[in-house]
Amino acid sequence: MKSKHFRKRFLTTLLIIIILLIVFIELTPIIVVFMNSFKRDIDIWARGPFYFSFNFDSYKSVLSNRDFLLSLRNSIIVAVVSTVISIIVGAMASYGITRYVFRSKKLIAYSFLIFRMVPQISLVIPLFMMFNQFQLRDTLTGIILSHMSFNIPYVVWLLLPFFAAIPRDFEEAARIDGASEGGVFWRIFLPLVGPGIVVSAIFCFLMSWNEFLYALILSSTNARTAPVAVNGLLGQYAPKWGQLSAAGTIMLIPVLIITITLQKYIIKGLSAGGIKG
Amino acid sequence: MKRNYNFKHWIFILPALVLVISILVYPIFYSIYMSAYDWNLFHSDAKKFLGFENYLSLFKDREFLHSLWLQLGFIVIALPIETILGFFVAILLNRDGKFYDVVRALLLLPVFVLPVISGLTWRMLLQPEYGMMSFILEKLGFGVKAWLAEPNFAYSMVIIQDIWRMWPFMFMFIYAGLSGMPREYIEAAQIDGAGFWKKITKIVIPYLRPTIATALLLRLIDALRIFSEVYVMTGGGPGNSTLLLSLYINKQAFEFFNIGYAAAMGVILLIVALVIAFFIVRGNIQFEGEKG
Repeated sequence: MKSKHFRKRFLTTLLIIIILLIVFIELTPIIVVFMNSFKRDIDIWARGPFYFSFNFDSYKSVLSNRDFLLSLRNSIIVAVVSTVISIIVGAMASYGITRYVFRSKKLIAYSFLIFRMVPQISLVIPLFMMFNQFQLRDTLTGIILSHMSFNIPYVVWLLLPFFAAIPRDFEEAARIDGASEGGVFWRIFLPLVGPGIVVSAIFCFLMSWNEFLYALILSSTNARTAPVAVNGLLGQYAPKWGQLSAAGTIMLIPVLIITITLQKYIIKGLSAGGIKG
Repeated sequence: MKRNYNFKHWIFILPALVLVISILVYPIFYSIYMSAYDWNLFHSDAKKFLGFENYLSLFKDREFLHSLWLQLGFIVIALPIETILGFFVAILLNRDGKFYDVVRALLLLPVFVLPVISGLTWRMLLQPEYGMMSFILEKLGFGVKAWLAEPNFAYSMVIIQDIWRMWPFMFMFIYAGLSGMPREYIEAAQIDGAGFWKKITKIVIPYLRPTIATALLLRLIDALRIFSEVYVMTGGGPGNSTLLLSLYINKQAFEFFNIGYAAAMGVILLIVALVIAFFIVRGNIQFEGEKG
């Protein structure tokens, strides 16, 4: 009896050690970025990887780098605007698809789902040509539009089951009370799919914040976003790892905060349109 | 009643539809059009109609076939490892308690790390002399090397980077499915005296099959269009040893300016992605509002 108890204790301890090891491995690269952000470039080159310092020089350089600050501002604008517009038009479309009966309903719903799977590299070439033509290259409008190409389908996709889950009685009741079509949508439905809106907002923001390819190809100096600017810190000959890590840490802060505090929503968002009931 | 609602839905759908058509559907058709031309980025006036010739040349382009091969290898190696890791860790972590909640939250972080930061970080870790991984490899007796300058090693590291970042995605999906599994399933098996492996192969895997299939298809699409991480980590090099499909398309379009040819490759990639998308969609949607 006693040995069985012992065995169980031993297995639980072993399990916890394995889990901690996995967590440690997963977090090491993130921790290295964080630690290196407190070192100067020269210390990173000259001293071993385990040298530790607490020096704000890299942050000072990055935060006085006008190009980086501009790119950070651009990233925030692009992420916020593309998220807001995508959610408004996406929620409307999702509502229109689920709550009305019409012939092309299925076709439209499926199209939105499939639009989300378009590879960025396939889209960026024609977008580059079009943006040149319409003078949208290297403008925030252009980058916002390009990000909406993946955010709108995502919102529509994610919200379909949320809207579909609301019982018919709700809108019938509102209609009988004399609410207009728009009123039913804005005042009755939007609040009811609140959690869905939160999930889609988180994901649109993160996807836009993390996006690199469109920004790389469709912007040069004015509309450059932070991921492209961070990559620019690599330089031609001597990578500024300290500054790069400081900039990277700044970029990671909103991501880490969102991921940790809103974890419940995130799991929902990951499996959006995925797992059935 | 039907008549009454005949057009109103369009008021709601139209804004999204118009936007998506102009920034997604139209560009796709435009790229199909481009793919039929010998088209240089800076000499649009001198473009020459080729018909299907770009597509035919693709299969004689050794670099294209090479990048296709690399892409395939990347998918075939990374995805199964991510799935297996995700599966077993999900089983390990399918317990209640604050400790496990925290662990699950922490494991999810790499998934959301910016691809650019992830790629650059791995590049930093692998710098000779001062990168942490190079340092460890040196201490293990592998010598001082510019690891990312070794073709096979660079390719392996690109894959390892992806596994590091994305197995928690598989984990989260599988965990979500697992935590919804009725306890009676396992208990019934326990009463029958089933062992660990038997429980997994006979009960857990069949139960999770649709979940794993969906997660795998989503990963497949992402793995197929991977770009940023690899672009900042190796730039496709050394030589073209990590020049995955998207990177090669980017190179043809924006370094060699063969945008007609690059568009043709983009179309092929798009078709493959749409075929996968078709399977995802067929397996799993549920949006019919008529139930209520």
